[in-house]
Amino acid sequence: MLYKVLEKNGYRDFVKSLISGFEFIGPVKKDRAVHDFKVIKDFKELDTAYIRTTIPPAKKILFPPDEELVCYEIGENIDVKPVVESGEKILFAINAWDINGMNFLDRVFTTDFIDDNYKAKRDKLIVIGMDTEPAETNFSPSVGAEFATGGFDLYMHDIGDRYFIRVATARGDGLLKRYAVVKDAERNDFKEYDRYMDNYRGRFKLDVDIKSFYDDFEVIYDKKEFWENAAKDCYSCGSCNLVCPTCFCFNVKDDMELNLKKGEKTREWDSCMIPDYGLVAGGHNFRPTKENRLKQRYRCKLKTFKEKYDRYACVGCGRCIEACLANINIAEDINSVKKEVSA
Amino acid sequence: MIMDIKEKETAGSSIYVPEIATILKIEEMSQTEKLFDIRLDDQKKQEKFCFLPGQFVELTIFGLGEAPFSIPSSPGNRDFFQLCIRDTGNVSGAIHRMKAGDKIGIRGPFGKGYFPYERMKGKDVIIVAGGLGLAPVMSLIKTILEDRDSYKRLVIIYGATDPSNILFRKDIEDWKKRDDIELGLTVDNPDSAWQENVGVCTNLIPGINCTEDAYAVVCGPPVMYKFVVSEFEKKCIKPENIFLSLERRMECGVGKCNHCHVGNKLSCVDGPVFSLWEIRNLKEAI
Ligand SMILES: Cc1cc2nc3c(=O)[nH]c(=O)nc-3n(C[C@H](O)[C@H](O)[C@H](O)COP(=O)(O)OP(=O)(O)OC[C@H]3O[C@@H](n4cnc5c(N)ncnc54)[C@H](O)[C@@H]3O)c2cc1C
Ligand code: SF4
Ligand code: SF4
Repeated sequence: MLYKVLEKNGYRDFVKSLISGFEFIGPVKKDRAVHDFKVIKDFKELDTAYIRTTIPPAKKILFPPDEELVCYEIGENIDVKPVVESGEKILFAINAWDINGMNFLDRVFTTDFIDDNYKAKRDKLIVIGMDTEPAETNFSPSVGAEFATGGFDLYMHDIGDRYFIRVATARGDGLLKRYAVVKDAERNDFKEYDRYMDNYRGRFKLDVDIKSFYDDFEVIYDKKEFWENAAKDCYSCGSCNLVCPTCFCFNVKDDMELNLKKGEKTREWDSCMIPDYGLVAGGHNFRPTKENRLKQRYRCKLKTFKEKYDRYACVGCGRCIEACLANINIAEDINSVKKEVSA
Repeated sequence: MIMDIKEKETAGSSIYVPEIATILKIEEMSQTEKLFDIRLDDQKKQEKFCFLPGQFVELTIFGLGEAPFSIPSSPGNRDFFQLCIRDTGNVSGAIHRMKAGDKIGIRGPFGKGYFPYERMKGKDVIIVAGGLGLAPVMSLIKTILEDRDSYKRLVIIYGATDPSNILFRKDIEDWKKRDDIELGLTVDNPDSAWQENVGVCTNLIPGINCTEDAYAVVCGPPVMYKFVVSEFEKKCIKPENIFLSLERRMECGVGKCNHCHVGNKLSCVDGPVFSLWEIRNLKEAI
């Protein structure tokens, strides 16, 4: 990691050159409540002062809702080819928890087998991070996701009249050398940065008591009333999955063009909260009830990957809390598990 | 989508690309199951196609879909491999309509968890299968029979709904003739010609004599596991020596799509074969 400083008056030129030199994806204001990450051609469109994006940026770029994986042509022989998209892009002003969400997806898509379709996109994605104001529903610090130690090329912290930049890759360093005037961070810059981070961390207001969830969950698992109560209003709509930066369940399907000569394998986002998630041929359903599906979602988010990768599959962004029309609240439910066991 | 539509990039590789394979032969096993002999078209890849008992492949019917299937043939056979498929849906139905010479796609073999035939050497082995559950354990049975002297007793208990649903009949006829296999066959609905047991597989387990260091294997429909396992436990077989093949909905076979979770594990990469000890505390595993 290198540490650099960019004066604020150099910011505009730096970003403008990135916009003109690359396919540049950044936050654009959609309406009062939310921003959306879009390809930006003009500096004026960019608005980094965002609080919410409904669909997490990394997820839709690296793991699109509908993605062709393989294509084939059927003639005398069958010719099968991978479809691996790998254009270079800049993802600008993504915040720490969404970077951590992307880092989580990296682990999933490269453990056991490497998912080339994902990795090709990830390798070519230049990531420039920036802190954003946490929403009231955000509990990132409780799951250790309010700060990113990696998974980006540059991370720019706004410490007043200048940006304190953490440079994590040679590629990021190259961008600064080519498009910006920066200097090495000095003792005083670190001091400002340190003070800034303390203040920033203090802006997260929601705290969840997750430390003993790993074991407590097992005691609560069979408590029927607890889960019936937690899931009673769930519509099984899957919105919580759709908006989550770490949800990665998908279905694979094969399709044929009308001429029956060309076909493709695609993947589509799936949702663990909808009734046919666990349905198999013959009619058996491994996850038949909404209580059962909610439990499994929490296990997956808060336990499974703690065991596998020593990290939560939840970055505490709070999106699912805001998206849920039934007011199902992961933060409250974590706290309730704790309360129930320690009572 | 935020990206403009661009020319497809087809360089590089992808774990989702299937190998082209040819159906060599189709044998009807029952009204609903057929056995397919399959060979990868790329001869070098076919020669290198090695698998362990309990592993599975992802079968693609081009333009239609993909589904996982266990490999019931012997791992020692490198000329081709087999799949025993029940006609239940989209992919399985399509392959049932195919004929010898038709092309399909194969990915795999997959699965890290397999039946530990090496560890079973020198021990009694009890195999209980229900219905189509005979397919995944078939390759274990074949592996053991190819090196029969290395194992002690081999007990096979197989249950089907009715006599016409019994799979791998030829193999079973051979087993009946051998004196080194203790075979128990049972059906739920016998016909007038049926001479063997009637009822569920579980009924036959108490009658087995085995040592406490025996190995036990179970594979069948989801409802069967709990009952069979409790019978094994009554025999004092150790949970780390009891193996189960757990099949869940699977979309990718390579640990990405997340559909096949069993508690904290994934059936495709951590299984599909698990020891009872491993899954003991995984709620809803069995
Ligand atoms: C590890 C493993 C081994 C299997 N081995 C065999 C075998 O040896 N013989 C055999 O006939 N079947 C086997 N199955 C079931 C098989 O994979 C198919 O699910 C079944 O043939 C129905 O698929 P379909 O596409 O025809 O049905 P559809 O109804 O069209 O199924 C749609 C999709 O749902 C999923 N799905 C549906 N049913 C199941 C199921 N029972 N298990 C898992 N996923 C399902 C599949 O991803 C499938 O692509 C196995 C499943 C697993 C997980
Ligand atoms: S928890 Fe809420 S968002 Fe998720 S499926 Fe249920 S109702 Fe929909
Ligand atoms: S589970 Fe909810 S809070 Fe956690 S990362 Fe997903 S959307 Fe955010």
